[in-house]
Amino acid sequence: MFFEYLINNQAEILRMIIQHLFLFSVSTMIAIISGIFISIISTLEGYEKFGRVLLTVSGMAQAVPSIAVVALVFLVVGIGMKPAIIALIIYSIVPIIFNTSSGLLSVNAKTIEAARGVGFTNNQILWKIKMPIASPVIIAGIRSAATINIGTATIASLIGGGGLGDLIFIGIKLQKHHITIIGAVLTALIAIIVDISLQAAGKKIIPRGLAIVTK
Amino acid sequence: MIELKNLTRKYGKKIAVNKLNMTMDKHRITMLIGPSGCGKTTTLKMINRLIESTEGDIIINGESIYNLDAVQLRRSIGYVIQEIGLFPHMNVFDNIAAVPRLLQWNEKKIKSRVEDLLDLVTLNTSYMYKYPLQLSGGESQRVGLARALAADPEILLMDEPFGAIDPINRAKLHESFMSIQEKIKKTIVFVTHDINEAIKLGDKIAILKNGDLIQHDNVNNILYEPENEFVEKLLGHDRNIKALVLKKNKDYIQRDGFLVVKRGEKPEKVLDLITAAGKKSALAVDSEGRFEGEFFTRISKHTKELRLEFNDEIVSLEKNGNLQETLSLMIETGESIMPVTSNKNNFEGIINLNDIFSELGSGEK
Ligand SMILES: Nc1ncnc2c1ncn2[C@@H]1O[C@H](COP(=O)(O)OP(=O)(O)OP(=O)(O)O)[C@@H](O)[C@H]1O
Ligand SMILES: [Mg+2]
Repeated sequence: MFFEYLINNQAEILRMIIQHLFLFSVSTMIAIISGIFISIISTLEGYEKFGRVLLTVSGMAQAVPSIAVVALVFLVVGIGMKPAIIALIIYSIVPIIFNTSSGLLSVNAKTIEAARGVGFTNNQILWKIKMPIASPVIIAGIRSAATINIGTATIASLIGGGGLGDLIFIGIKLQKHHITIIGAVLTALIAIIVDISLQAAGKKIIPRGLAIVTK
Repeated sequence: MIELKNLTRKYGKKIAVNKLNMTMDKHRITMLIGPSGCGKTTTLKMINRLIESTEGDIIINGESIYNLDAVQLRRSIGYVIQEIGLFPHMNVFDNIAAVPRLLQWNEKKIKSRVEDLLDLVTLNTSYMYKYPLQLSGGESQRVGLARALAADPEILLMDEPFGAIDPINRAKLHESFMSIQEKIKKTIVFVTHDINEAIKLGDKIAILKNGDLIQHDNVNNILYEPENEFVEKLLGHDRNIKALVLKKNKDYIQRDGFLVVKRGEKPEKVLDLITAAGKKSALAVDSEGRFEGEFFTRISKHTKELRLEFNDEIVSLEKNGNLQETLSLMIETGESIMPVTSNKNNFEGIINLNDIFSELGSGEK
């Protein structure tokens, strides 16, 4: 039954997968870039207070259910691919901001002082000291944002975003469970593959000295 | 030479440093000391402009530091802080190479510089690829010192660099720090709250209280001509004992009044020599004059005969050590006479506890 459906609807399913990946990658990219940018700005020296507020707000925002975000965006922006992407950005930017700003704020003040004391400029402190030291936390944020995003992208189909969500909801509507299951399994597979790749990338990016376990 | 002119720093109404006027001598170590909150760190950080002054000026080699770019200024001044100042994500090599890289030296020059510096701070080159988390506190401070010296700055600022190290390792770090300074002759400003450390390491000591400079003088004058009660309190009652740290073992070595024999000498001969000299023991050296231990005589319980024995676990004193350490070692080991050796374990002579006592009794010198 599964295979029959898969083979008969190959082209359609492939299109949905690509659409899903498109929704996911565009929104995640934008969320990563703008989330990190916002966190950097708000944790600059002298603005740490703003950074702490952002940290609290993003911590609370993580508790908002995805369906609520999707519904709100639908009310404001309407229906289609664009609103779906906007909803996904809003939803996945939260863990990125939360982790990036907490990572940047938790870099030891003495380490920063030492860097400034030996002649690092503010920019060098950010890129050569703070960002590398915060990188494990930032990457953890990106991983959870990506996983959440892939799941939430299925809900985006409710407001016309397309993707594998369509398959799931069609299955539910027609009471054809195998269709729903195919949609769900494919979504889960994508999530697992993405997470494993991000984990591998993280191992490359995170400086070795931070991964060492103390004696 | 660093000149502080009317240097003042206020935080709102609070005056952290008040109209400081002093000169820190070239190639010398100036210790800043005083109770917590007296303005030591603030003073130090104004020298590399981590803190800007409210009033006054700082002149280095004739030029006001406020005419220089703050970042460039910091790259030309070494800076060492207590613990965790190392960059945790960089290995030892990259930590030490940090400033040369900011100054865009080529990698070849950086590598040989890092090797030289590790050698200077007596760390094996295998440490190059270790990370800060893998170092002990003492090793971290050595790396911190190497990093500060990387671009060969003329001035070194140190803020309680050995504050978090246990006493035994701190004493070791002091020894290497002093021998390093002997080689590199930097102008050093060193913040501490430990008066013993100030006396031991400093050429001059500056004493601060509530942001005011109370006394700034060479160590002997501080010890024996304290400006006021505050300084006296800081020094404590046992000033003569404190001053022992300034007295070097090498100046108190006795070269006669004891017997020295070769370790390989025949036991009968050694026994003869000892009895002929009317002694109970003789110090032993090898053919190259290195200290080996002590022969001593003992009357056997059964035969009642005089027997010769050898002790190779005799603790010896370092020629460059100071009398304070020597005194505590003597108390610890229960010996009133101890052999002195130079760096390669060459036997130099002995030090007698009585000489230390007469030093203590002599007071001002
Ligand atoms: N950023 C600041 N804002 C307000 N007051 C400050 C600030 N930094 C320092 N102070 C005050 O200035 C005074 C001098 O501080 P400083 O750090 O120089 O003391 P210190 O002598 O180094 O003390 P410690 O031995 O505890 O390190 C203290 O009373 C401190 O509370
Ligand atoms: Mg301080």
